[in-house]
Amino acid sequence: MDRRRFLKVTAITGTSAALASCGHPENQIIRFVPEEELTPGIAVWKPSVCPLCSAGCGVIARVMDGDAEVFRNGQPGVTRMGLARKLEGDPAHAVSQGRLCARGQAALQVTYHPDRITTPLRRTGERGNGAFQEVSWDEALGELVSRIDELVGKGQASAIAFLGRPRRGQRQALVGEFLRALGAPAPVSFALFDDGVARHANELSFGRYQLPTLDLARTRYLINFGADFLGTWNSPVAQGVAYGRMRQGQPGVRAKFVQVEPRVSQTGASADEWVVVRPGTEGVVALGLAHVIMREGLRPATAAGRAGTLVDGWAGGLPQFTPQEVERRAGVTAERLERLAKEFVTYGPSLAVIGGAALAHANGVVQALAVNALNALVGSVDAPGGISFMPTEAPPARPARSLRDLVSASPQLLLVDEANPVFATPSAARVGEALRNIPFIASFGSFIDDTSVLADLILPDHSFLESWTESSPESGAMEAVSMTAPPAMRPLYATRAMPDVLLEVSRRLSRPLDPPLPWQTFEEVLQAPPAAAPAAPARAASASPVTWADAQFDGDAATYPFHLLPYASQALHDGSLAHLPWLQELPDPMTTAMWCSWVEINAHTARQLGIALGDMVEVSSAHGSVRAPAVISPGIGPEAVAMPVGQGHETFTRYASGRGANPIRVLAPVEEPATGTLAWSATRVRLARVGGPDGSLVLFAGATRERPDHHGRG
Amino acid sequence: MAHRWGMVVDLDRCTGCEACVTACHAENNIPTVGAAEAARGRAMHWIRVERYWEGEFPEARLTFRPVLCQQCDNAPCEAVCPTYASHQTDEGLNAQVYNRCIGTRYCANACMYNVRFFNFFHPQWEKPLQLQLNPDVSLREAGVMEKCTFCVQRIKAAKSEARAEERELVDGALQPACAQACPAGALVFGDLNDPESRVARLSESPRGSKLLEEYGAEPKITYLQRQGWHEPDAQ
Amino acid sequence: MAQPSRWGTPSVFTTAHRSAGEAFRAFFDMRPDEVDQPVAFSHQLHLEKELVCTDCHEGVERGPVAGLPSVNTCLICHSQIATDRPIIQEITAMQEKGVDLAWRRVYGYTREAHVRFEHAPHIRAGVDCSTCHGDMKQQTVARRVVEMDMAFCVNCHKAKQASNDCLTCHF
Repeated sequence: MDRRRFLKVTAITGTSAALASCGHPENQIIRFVPEEELTPGIAVWKPSVCPLCSAGCGVIARVMDGDAEVFRNGQPGVTRMGLARKLEGDPAHAVSQGRLCARGQAALQVTYHPDRITTPLRRTGERGNGAFQEVSWDEALGELVSRIDELVGKGQASAIAFLGRPRRGQRQALVGEFLRALGAPAPVSFALFDDGVARHANELSFGRYQLPTLDLARTRYLINFGADFLGTWNSPVAQGVAYGRMRQGQPGVRAKFVQVEPRVSQTGASADEWVVVRPGTEGVVALGLAHVIMREGLRPATAAGRAGTLVDGWAGGLPQFTPQEVERRAGVTAERLERLAKEFVTYGPSLAVIGGAALAHANGVVQALAVNALNALVGSVDAPGGISFMPTEAPPARPARSLRDLVSASPQLLLVDEANPVFATPSAARVGEALRNIPFIASFGSFIDDTSVLADLILPDHSFLESWTESSPESGAMEAVSMTAPPAMRPLYATRAMPDVLLEVSRRLSRPLDPPLPWQTFEEVLQAPPAAAPAAPARAASASPVTWADAQFDGDAATYPFHLLPYASQALHDGSLAHLPWLQELPDPMTTAMWCSWVEINAHTARQLGIALGDMVEVSSAHGSVRAPAVISPGIGPEAVAMPVGQGHETFTRYASGRGANPIRVLAPVEEPATGTLAWSATRVRLARVGGPDGSLVLFAGATRERPDHHGRG
Repeated sequence: MAHRWGMVVDLDRCTGCEACVTACHAENNIPTVGAAEAARGRAMHWIRVERYWEGEFPEARLTFRPVLCQQCDNAPCEAVCPTYASHQTDEGLNAQVYNRCIGTRYCANACMYNVRFFNFFHPQWEKPLQLQLNPDVSLREAGVMEKCTFCVQRIKAAKSEARAEERELVDGALQPACAQACPAGALVFGDLNDPESRVARLSESPRGSKLLEEYGAEPKITYLQRQGWHEPDAQ
Repeated sequence: MAQPSRWGTPSVFTTAHRSAGEAFRAFFDMRPDEVDQPVAFSHQLHLEKELVCTDCHEGVERGPVAGLPSVNTCLICHSQIATDRPIIQEITAMQEKGVDLAWRRVYGYTREAHVRFEHAPHIRAGVDCSTCHGDMKQQTVARRVVEMDMAFCVNCHKAKQASNDCLTCHF
């Protein structure tokens, strides 16, 4: 009813019958007055941004009214409120284009997770044992402020550290402003699969510290060196859309897709040709292709420009990368290399991509430089069907500090925002031990995970659906993309937006920030964002050639005969999504496994070691061992074993705690030297059967019947 | 003319990403059953991605195939249902009426596509996960069979909206959750009785075939075969 | 069974009945003829004042659900009308305390009925509210005066040549 009708009705007066009040039934939970105007049963679509990976997909949330159990002024009750019920890709967003991946769909469960932290918590027991008590926001903020005050008072503001996930946009800018005003060092971003090597190489080759946008829709010949671009790498939804067009977008035209990798990935499964290489030799293949192209006079060496000059020996036609030499080093036959090289040049537009495991080696940068030069040689940079770099006002910044810098500086106070390095670093790097020695840790995350369990204070953030969100992706579209969206729903709990908490802390400090931060809320930050931080001085644009270096592996081949190839789980990504039940029960596309870890083993290797499907095997490196059930796969060579990353959390909600095994923990703490990122493909292991099936391998039973020939490995 | 809902699955586009699987869970209130029940074969996925390996290392090749209820015209599940819970609607949907279902599970045994799922237990959502539920879709209790409905709630809503606005349905505007999510556009849904619809045109493709066609169930889903690469005539 | 939630309610949401009695009553469709409402709202009285159904049941023409009004809706008028009456004072006090009216269902199918009834298409088809809800001008607190079993729905659908396919209502 609106005001106008109300006025009409008030004109009519009369008496009313006596009304009797009945009151509430005793046992009924209190119903609070709704805080928003809602039309019952009508769905409203509200924009937001998926927070689960760095692709920055714009989404729309279907918001409908419903009854939620809430606390109001400390009192439990129920209220009718707008609730997000479904996420879809936003058709108006240039990256997601109305589509959304499996993980993005499941982002809904972040908000409604039964183990979400609903109020500030303070640690009560031993650090790490998970005992916390609820405290008020006033108390929690007071404690954090007094800790910061104490350090600032002692002139130790530089001992305050901030550790978050890689993000871009104003949220990250505000964190930077806050720390700078405080006199603390710049924030540190940490993620297992952070693509720092690719960005670094792109800056060297093309002057862009950025991941590329792939124009797959117009590509006619694609050679992909290990990047899981249809699954978990870069901007999977945008790349999936473009891939569909590459396959069947134009009648009569169908591109060729060649996958070069040691283990066939979910992306590799869609390739027309799978080229098996030894781990860490993808760049050798790329340089071999370039060698053939230049030797045959199909393209001149100079065509590659700067990207070519960065590769040692390029101008001379890479004489050390003859097909015979590539065959010896990488295991790709000389004839095949010759054929691929000629096809690659002949049937353009051509595109070469490298990412993921191929760059997770100590020689990652030179591998990426090789592929960059190959792209430049065939003219696929900034060309239709090639790679391009999204024009963006705020390109990713080269990190000023790494996790290692943070740890080695022995901070006195650590602020953690969703990063989980205790899970995602090798045991041998001893990051967890270092964090335990930090006197005070505060976490903003919504869940108690392997890292936030060490916190002394937890100041839970809103979920993304309850927050202002931003999308400023670095790739995935040809044009610049930038959007902000207001919260799609009201907060369910007494949580607070992390940026607002930082602003509140800055106001409460006993020695005010000078100059003070000019915003009261994050919403104001979005309206009047801080001036872009001065870009880190561009590294001396060295054009000196980089000499090829072979990948190095930890563990001698005699004791540790297999390469361990960890890979991002299709469902759980880097493990940060292992708490979502929809994703735990999502059958892995390659194995149908759910709720578990597994080890993929070549059939021949398995026969030799007497290993059958489901048998428990132990994977041991020089730094530790993990156990998981075996899956026999024709998609992996006899020299390697593969394990999905994602499970093996010690603490991460009821759905993920203590489930499966974490291969990252047994890796050697080898880093790519230029970027300091973990070389997670550079560890050798040995393999042993330790027992029969223990029931932990859960495979989805559903399969089409009546086709014995399809059952074989079905 | 009545609608006749069908789908085309382009295996050349499918990347096995499983966006369809989670989208279906979210749209249709499909419960997760947990590791223990999943290990007993009780996980429910109205749509799944099957994969077929051909050859051995290093020549192995893998093809993904999304499999959902084929909405057969001559459905084996319908013939065996003693209560007519499983029946064909005027619009060609293979309906599963939960009220009528008494849980004989004959239909699941008759279906060679293995796309029917039985509720061995009452589904559970640990609070507040129930807030994710779609109010437009029933919750199925213990003892009831369930399966893909082609998102009949979306079909109903789109028809109702079109009628309210006195217009025809627009081809492509109405999509089940799986097709809407699919990044690569491998799933195309529409009206087979509309010769101009994308699904009708694609289902005539020479690449098309039906799954287990020889059993005569007359499925309404056409699979477009994955293609290989052939060297174009060099210019 | 899991611990109760912090709201004193079950911590798990399930389709299971909470007791054998509840299951029994659901199976035999045993529902009370009258339910206690939080306030004895008189439909008769309000309709006599020329209010119409959609003033309070706002969703009925637009979507599946008609909607039950919150105290906010009551007080659009009653912040000025009949403010001297105890029941209005009580409602005003509720709103000030932030407490809403917990209406109970008068009709209400069991969940196992799997009925996805939508109001809006019926309104558009010209079905009068009273066809299913009785003449509200004759009722104070709403009561179950029309027995809406499946025969009732099917007969009307037949008469109006609307679809009687199971999936029309059950999905």
